[in-house]
Amino acid sequence: MADTILQGEKITRVFQQGKAETKVLDGIDIKIFEKDFTVIMGPSGAGKSTLLYSLSGMDQISGGRVLYRDQEISGLSENRMARLRAEEFGFVFQQTHLVSNLTLLENVLVAGYVSKKDSAEKVKERAANLLRQMDVEEAKDRLPYQVSGGEAQRAAIARAMIGKPGLLFADEPTGALNQANTREVLGLLTDLNRKGQSILMVTHDLQAAARGNRILYLEDGKVCDELALKPYNEMEEKQRERDVSQWLSRLRW
Amino acid sequence: MENQIMIRAGMKRHKGSFIGIGILLFLTALSLTTVLMIALVGNGYIREEMERAGFGDLTAWASDVPDMEFLLESIREQEGVEGAEVQELVFSEYEANGMESDSEGQMIPWNSQGIGDSFGSEASFGDRYRFFQNNLSGYAKAPEEIREDEVFVSPSMKSMMDLEPGDTITFPIARGGRKLSLTVAGYYEDPFMGSSMIGMKGFLIAGKTYEQICSVIEETGMDALARDGSMIHIETESGMTASEINRELTENTPLSMYTEFIHSADTIAGFMAILQNAFCAIMAAFAVVLLGVAMAVMGHSISGLVEQEWKNFGILKTLGFTDRKLSGQLLVQYGGAMGVGIILGMLLAVPMAGMVSRMTVTTTGVLLPVRFPLLPCVGIFAILLLVPAGFCILRLRKIRKITPMAAIRGESDRVSVSGTTFFRNGLRAKGLTFHLALRQVLTGRRRYASACLVAALLVFFASLAGRMNGWLGADGKGMMDAFNPADLDLGVQVLGKLPAEEVEQMVLSYTNITDSYLLAMPSVSVNGTNYTANVITEPERFHISRGQTSREADQVVLTEALAADLGADVGDSVTIRGNKGSREFTVSGIYHCANDMGANLGMSREGYLSIGEDDSRLWCYHYFLEDVSQKQAITEALEQAYGGDVHVHENSWPGLFGIISAMHLMILVLYGMSAVFICIVTGMAGTKILDAERKDMGIYKSIGCSVRMLRLSFAFRFGLVAAAGAVIGTLAAMGFTVPVVSALMRLAGISNFASGNTPGSVLFPGGMVILLFFGFAWLLSGRIRKEDMNVLTAES
Repeated sequence: MADTILQGEKITRVFQQGKAETKVLDGIDIKIFEKDFTVIMGPSGAGKSTLLYSLSGMDQISGGRVLYRDQEISGLSENRMARLRAEEFGFVFQQTHLVSNLTLLENVLVAGYVSKKDSAEKVKERAANLLRQMDVEEAKDRLPYQVSGGEAQRAAIARAMIGKPGLLFADEPTGALNQANTREVLGLLTDLNRKGQSILMVTHDLQAAARGNRILYLEDGKVCDELALKPYNEMEEKQRERDVSQWLSRLRW
Repeated sequence: MENQIMIRAGMKRHKGSFIGIGILLFLTALSLTTVLMIALVGNGYIREEMERAGFGDLTAWASDVPDMEFLLESIREQEGVEGAEVQELVFSEYEANGMESDSEGQMIPWNSQGIGDSFGSEASFGDRYRFFQNNLSGYAKAPEEIREDEVFVSPSMKSMMDLEPGDTITFPIARGGRKLSLTVAGYYEDPFMGSSMIGMKGFLIAGKTYEQICSVIEETGMDALARDGSMIHIETESGMTASEINRELTENTPLSMYTEFIHSADTIAGFMAILQNAFCAIMAAFAVVLLGVAMAVMGHSISGLVEQEWKNFGILKTLGFTDRKLSGQLLVQYGGAMGVGIILGMLLAVPMAGMVSRMTVTTTGVLLPVRFPLLPCVGIFAILLLVPAGFCILRLRKIRKITPMAAIRGESDRVSVSGTTFFRNGLRAKGLTFHLALRQVLTGRRRYASACLVAALLVFFASLAGRMNGWLGADGKGMMDAFNPADLDLGVQVLGKLPAEEVEQMVLSYTNITDSYLLAMPSVSVNGTNYTANVITEPERFHISRGQTSREADQVVLTEALAADLGADVGDSVTIRGNKGSREFTVSGIYHCANDMGANLGMSREGYLSIGEDDSRLWCYHYFLEDVSQKQAITEALEQAYGGDVHVHENSWPGLFGIISAMHLMILVLYGMSAVFICIVTGMAGTKILDAERKDMGIYKSIGCSVRMLRLSFAFRFGLVAAAGAVIGTLAAMGFTVPVVSALMRLAGISNFASGNTPGSVLFPGGMVILLFFGFAWLLSGRIRKEDMNVLTAES
């Protein structure tokens, strides 16, 4: 059994609008393991992204606690949480969310500088390598609006990886991409996982979900079911997608 | 109906911007209207009061008149003279609260029946003067009579000598210790000599006291220090200039034989109003700057609003709304905010003018009434509303560019980020916070343009005011240099038979004398009119603004005011008469000296001695000291050793401190207003930027940037923008301060403004504005802490 990297205990998240309260997460217990590619699926409004951001400390939780490598992080101060994000977490979003006035390279560099794990020279070297690895080296000096969605998302993955994160959070990373770019991005995430990168991804895309080795199904603010798969193998891609599809059908998705 | 709905919705949605614009216009209208009220009403009031009190169009200060009745009759007989009245008085030095006067005061007998006003006057001048409540907040009922041991003084004596009711003021009437000590019973309004800019001060005393002083003067003869005299108020027919009447009186009456100085009502009113006029001019210029700032902010606000509503305008156009209709709705919204701000500002100007009037009464000497000058105010309202409204219409033309589909597709008219490659890849790990701020500013220049412009304008104006303050100096040296014909550290006039060398030795016992010269100030007649001549042993010391100094014995220099009075210019000839004879002199130059209401002349010792008698008591020794800090000690030592035989004066006069205080107060107001403006500008621009960058903030947080780092970076942006503006403003101030302030100073009769550029005076305003922008941006950036990172989520 792999070590637990992230653990949520009885996580509750209640949104308040005026006097009305909406409970999005309802006492969720969840464990994410080292080197796993964990996927969270569920219908729209199930609280997938809310769970992701609650676990990553990007959002406040209303109840319960979150532990990263056995250290409670749910009550950390703003500054310590920022350090944790800089040093241990990486984020990839659906809308790429690159800083619009920085080039792709600068987007990656800023994250590297903020993490302060390496010297500036090493950060530059690593950023160049990552961008090469992500196949966006040629576009590195362009601004986000001057590149394609796929290039931007690959640069966003490079940015997430520059700080050598313990856990990579991905929120619908292929949601805004076309089929070709989706495959490229998923390929990159799979490669990273193969190299030992722990990933927690939210998606409603079957093809993306099939890349994971563990799929959690979220509904009505609770984890309802879980599907364990063997590590991804290109040869079995269609079979994996069918397995996931059947599992989801059973859950009436 | 749809217009109402749209306008109401728009005002609700952008209430922050409209409130900001309203506040800016409110402050602009408040400053401008207050200044207008004080300037217009103040000047008018002083002239009204002078007229009401019967001071005439020309006043001569005379002494030793053997037959006043005859003199008055001869004046009244002149063509163009409608009447002449006389006010008896006693000239005397005075001392209070350890301070000595630098010029003679005038003790004027008064009671409610109007004594001292005689010789054929039909009017009773018992109500000539108005009396103040002791706290100077308003007027009090005039006393029935003044007691023999009491005196009423001008409120400016409070700023000049810190005189308050109950204090004692001493007048040296004659040698041998014959002094008259009177208790200050209260303050009176003197529209004639009340300003702290005027050295000769009036003191209202009891008739009996006046008689007692006169008998002491008569009894002590040569030992008398006080002198009896009179003010002769001459009323002229309209169409005659003061100069023409003056010449006629000098030629046809014996008036010039007894006259010490003579001034027109215009000159006196001008000098009485110097301070408020000069300060009002500065404040008016500031208000114009504020209007510019308000328009810059409005321009930014309109751009931001149109950008924000781009899509909505596109949708509205599909519903049939025309460009004109959309622009009209926005114009109504902006116009409404501006109108409310302007009206409130103008209304509040009434109590504000009252407050300013009460605050400045100890400097101006008069309690300026609060009146609302309707027509000028309507003009101000129209300017304040129409100029920004016109600007608003120009800016709203952008709406025409919006096509419905492009807007709905999200195509804005602007690329929010500059595509230039010039600034790319300039980020450094060291100082990352600063570099990120710099990048944001460089790539989003348009968002920060208004803040930069505002910073430039405010720094320019603050520099301007700061330079004036610097010129004035902590001890008022600038002002004193404007009044003195030549610079000095210490002046000693030997009045008795004391040898000058002895006095000099005493000065030398304290510090070395680095340089010295002699100055005399006799009265001479120029083209038939009496003026003070500044006679100097070293004419090259005169502050010359045009032409050359009067090096030769047949040359004179005139002030601008006197040159204008005489209609003379450099190269012209004037006839000057002294107590020995007269001759023609050539005007060799124009010089600065604000003494005697700015109307005087300068000449060399040789020049004067060709028309006037020499007398050792005429000359004042002006010294430059090696250790200037010894001035006070030397003054005290000389006065203690030689008493009344020497008159020591520094480069200062008591009224100066009131003026310096007023100037400092004004600088404080300017900085305060600037701070409010910067706060509003930062608030408006910063809020829009933060709204636009909510996602960027979320992104930065997601990669581990702390809130502190983001706040600092945000504040740096405004600091950087303010720094750019400060450089522009400082350079502009360096280039334009002297001409602009010189023009303002001329309103105060001062024509030698020259500001030194010390590093402090140059850098302080810019530094202050940068700090204020940085500080307010830092406070505003507290919002970043509350920014929710859910803005990045796929579900949002």
